[in-house]
Amino acid sequence: MTIAVESEMALEQRIAAYLTKLWNKPVTVEGLARIPGGASRQTYGFDAVTGAERRGLILRRDPVDSLIDTDRRIEYLAYQSFHPLGVPTPEPLVLDEEGGVLERPFFLMSRIDGGKAASPFSIQPYAPHQKTIGEQFFSILGKIAAADPASLPISQAARIPTPETCWSTELDHWERELDKDELHPHPIGRAAIRRLRRRPPPPAQKLSVVHGDYRSGNFLHDGEGRVLAILDWEMAHVGDPLEDLGWAIDPLWSHFETGTVSGLLPRAETIAIWEKASGLKADPETLAWWELFNSFKGLVIWISAAKSFRDGGGVDPVLGFTGLYCTRRHDLILAEKLEALLEAA
Amino acid sequence: MIPTTAEALIGNFMTLIEPPPPEAAGDFTAGKIGVIGMISLLAAQEMEKGAAVRVTENRAMRTLFAEAAEGGWAQAQTERLKALARGEDDDLTITALDRGNAELRTALIALQSAVEDAAGAASLARQKRIARLLREAAQARRLDLPPMPAS
Repeated sequence: MTIAVESEMALEQRIAAYLTKLWNKPVTVEGLARIPGGASRQTYGFDAVTGAERRGLILRRDPVDSLIDTDRRIEYLAYQSFHPLGVPTPEPLVLDEEGGVLERPFFLMSRIDGGKAASPFSIQPYAPHQKTIGEQFFSILGKIAAADPASLPISQAARIPTPETCWSTELDHWERELDKDELHPHPIGRAAIRRLRRRPPPPAQKLSVVHGDYRSGNFLHDGEGRVLAILDWEMAHVGDPLEDLGWAIDPLWSHFETGTVSGLLPRAETIAIWEKASGLKADPETLAWWELFNSFKGLVIWISAAKSFRDGGGVDPVLGFTGLYCTRRHDLILAEKLEALLEAA
Repeated sequence: MIPTTAEALIGNFMTLIEPPPPEAAGDFTAGKIGVIGMISLLAAQEMEKGAAVRVTENRAMRTLFAEAAEGGWAQAQTERLKALARGEDDDLTITALDRGNAELRTALIALQSAVEDAAGAASLARQKRIARLLREAAQARRLDLPPMPAS
């Protein structure tokens, strides 16, 4: 049977066969290697060789089990949206939602060499270039926030909320995820939901593309102070631009520093850079709502990861680690925030 | 809490006995082994304190329910709170402690929601009391990673 024959082919051969058909000329694949990280997609780097031409590519393929269930079409369209605008990203090349010879949906994009991504749990990963990197990182986020989603390819697939419903769309989504994946009761998460619903934020000042996972660890830098690429757009959607800022500010991504955002810049400086680049305002109360929301969202992501770990037989250690460690970090972050809000009441 | 230490360590074993495909044998497998190492470190902490943390958290919730039972709730609710407050952790296996913890946490969610719906200074004081308990429980459950330099 055809499927059985394809399954027995090495992944390298299958990619070569796909590209040979796509480009209508013989292609060989060299140096295929799976890349660590990226728990929601399987990510591989390789060289596609056609005659004397060699091209570095990245394959992003749906996994069997995932940290988060996301739409690869929206992720692909996010790259298509921002690569032409000068936001540093890999160039998207082809999306195959059927999977075909690679068995599961995937897309290909250009590979950006010479960069590294920090582990979110390392100490001072950007020193001594944290200021320069921070200025670029939050200017880029401001640029993303300033773009009009209706004019971008992502609007072909993303659901478009109204400014009034940005917050409830997201909160409803993550509450549903918690309802679906909660294997042990989480009073802190439930308390956060009630608090967020009781005191909703004002309507979004504009609709923006929200990266959805804009944080330390999800970009490449060259080690000398230059941001090379913003990665991992798999949770991209249209919403309130303050959502991304609130996620980047979350203490989980601070590299254990209390005085900086994402181990890069002081909070006030971060917000000023974002405001200047976006032309928007980060109202403190509204941003505080989105920060609380993002800590809740993080908690749900880790709870879902733990369920996937159990459902998948425990063979993905990233899911196990995040379920074991990050769930408790976000539980504590949320509990401290909720207690502080009450003490301030 | 999920995954349990046992599940995490069995997962480590299952991951290590499966040989990686050729394309995943380099940096990817090295990264995976690093994560397995971190899980082992976390599991060591959890094995040391996991039972004590659960016993303490369950006891704190029972004390809270005993206090809350004096709060003028409807009779059925008061009886329920008193019954929960009388509970004990006789079986100290993690599985049994988690089972009891789940029941207590479910009741705490209902109590906290009811307290928030009530108005006034007494409600605010109870909300603060519950918030403190939750923060202390989360602090006790926290697991720590050693300082890891950037690669």
